[in-house]
Amino acid sequence: MERSEKFWNPYVAGIALGLVLLATFLIMGKGLGASGAANRFGVLALDALAPAHVAGNSAMAGLKAGGHGILDNWLVFEVLGVFLGGALGAYSAGRLRRGVTKGPRVSVPMRLTLALTGGVIMGVAARLARGCTSGQALSGGALLSAGSWAFMLCIFAGGYAMAYFVRRQWT
Amino acid sequence: MTFPITSLILENRELGLVIAVLIGVGFGFTLERAGFGQAPKLAAQFYLRDMRVFKVMFSAILTAMVGLMVFSGFGLADLTAISQSAVSFTYIWPMIVGGLLLGVGFIISGYCPGTSLVASASGNLDGVMTFVGVILGSVLFGEIYDASAAVQAFHVSGNKEFLFLYDLLGLPAPVLAAIVTVAALGMFLGAEQVERMMAKKRGEETDHDAQYRGQRKLAFSALGVVAVVGVATLALPGAPRAEEKAAVAPAKSGQSISQGPLARRVLDEPWTLRIIDIRDKAACEKASLPGASCVPQKELAKLNLRYSAGERDLVLVSDKGLDKAPKGAAHYPGDVFLLKGGYAGWKAYALTAPKPPEAGADQAAMEEYRFRAALNSVLTGVKPPPPPKPAGGVPIVAPRPKKKGGGGCG
Repeated sequence: MERSEKFWNPYVAGIALGLVLLATFLIMGKGLGASGAANRFGVLALDALAPAHVAGNSAMAGLKAGGHGILDNWLVFEVLGVFLGGALGAYSAGRLRRGVTKGPRVSVPMRLTLALTGGVIMGVAARLARGCTSGQALSGGALLSAGSWAFMLCIFAGGYAMAYFVRRQWT
Repeated sequence: MTFPITSLILENRELGLVIAVLIGVGFGFTLERAGFGQAPKLAAQFYLRDMRVFKVMFSAILTAMVGLMVFSGFGLADLTAISQSAVSFTYIWPMIVGGLLLGVGFIISGYCPGTSLVASASGNLDGVMTFVGVILGSVLFGEIYDASAAVQAFHVSGNKEFLFLYDLLGLPAPVLAAIVTVAALGMFLGAEQVERMMAKKRGEETDHDAQYRGQRKLAFSALGVVAVVGVATLALPGAPRAEEKAAVAPAKSGQSISQGPLARRVLDEPWTLRIIDIRDKAACEKASLPGASCVPQKELAKLNLRYSAGERDLVLVSDKGLDKAPKGAAHYPGDVFLLKGGYAGWKAYALTAPKPPEAGADQAAMEEYRFRAALNSVLTGVKPPPPPKPAGGVPIVAPRPKKKGGGGCG
């Protein structure tokens, strides 16, 4: 795994990331995000299957109110860019290949099951907290929002509290 | 020009969306280079082996924070406008529980929602599974939310509206930013110490950061210098700082207006009013006052009312009336009125047919009845019943009601 380590020094990567965030604040007046777009993808899929159900759901109906498309939102475009940027980064470092990243002691099916499970939990969490690590913790944290800092500290608290129970997956 | 460039969100929206993609590319690329497309590198944070997540995340926060303080300090950016459009209200309880849950999901899946996308883009199937999970979880929450009144109540519990740590601590924003910077730089050194200790425990050769010493020094110095510049801008004599601009219109609590006087103004001089219905969007769209715009209370800040010209009187319509103007409206430069009894009171007053007064009622009661009947007829389209005979056959000379409260509408 340590083969083509073209990773940046964490502080340099952080400053680069911070400059992207600063540019987003200045140009768009918004922060970075991810889970908001994921929510829109999900609602879009559900809307294709059961439009009446979406229209009647108090958490979802707002996304297509006023005749706007569910994907008609800046975050959706930003997330499209994240995917492109991620692929570009992986390709240029020679890391773009199909695989599964995991610790040595866990099987691939188990790893994929846990990945899905953790994703579902985070989806619920991000809706509850009005944002995820990007939109709430990173962007709100840089703006010194009190709720964002509480959220961020709780992410680390939750992660450390749970780490022991899933250690076999990683170590 | 003052940042942010609001036209990118409104009239130049297409250009704004192109920029959104470019911003995303920058975001995704740096996350990938940070190593966040690989779950074990992220998970190592929680076993104290490699505190990369903490280091990258906090250097990013410091960079954007002190950068913004400098831009705002020189009057180039409006910190208040950016903060209020980029961040949500603080709802302390759902944010605490959401954070704990997200941390649990993070260590189970090995990613957060954003990094799972980068992992997917790098070809990692575990990243794809995580992102699919995030989508499913979001929809699942939507279903639970819709079905459970308790979840809806919890979702808005601990509402502190816009709450920033510098307001909470009573410090100028750049000063707090500098304090946070110093504290974080100290914690970076502490994190490296922990990494070395853990490596020693495992009997590994430590100091995998040795090759980065020069870069680290440079990064720390840069952050420190920018933080100091941010604080120094406080000493600029005439710099138009965002906080000062915002202070042009002092916060007001708003004055109560009852249905009668408001109804007269709605009929006689609607152009002097800016009526905003701050109830739920659905309720407002179903029925509201004539000419009212529907802006739920939590979205009020997006209107940037403090920067409007304020030549009209602002009227806020809530469910059952407000004690004081909500934060998003308190700095409106014109007069702020709060409709007494809210929409419920208005419905009872204007949309319910008035009871005719007893025969022989005094002139004021008669006039009030006529007005309410006329109002009801205008708003509901129902023809009013004929008024009863006035007392003593005196012809009514309806006095034009005096305007109450002065309302600033000359």
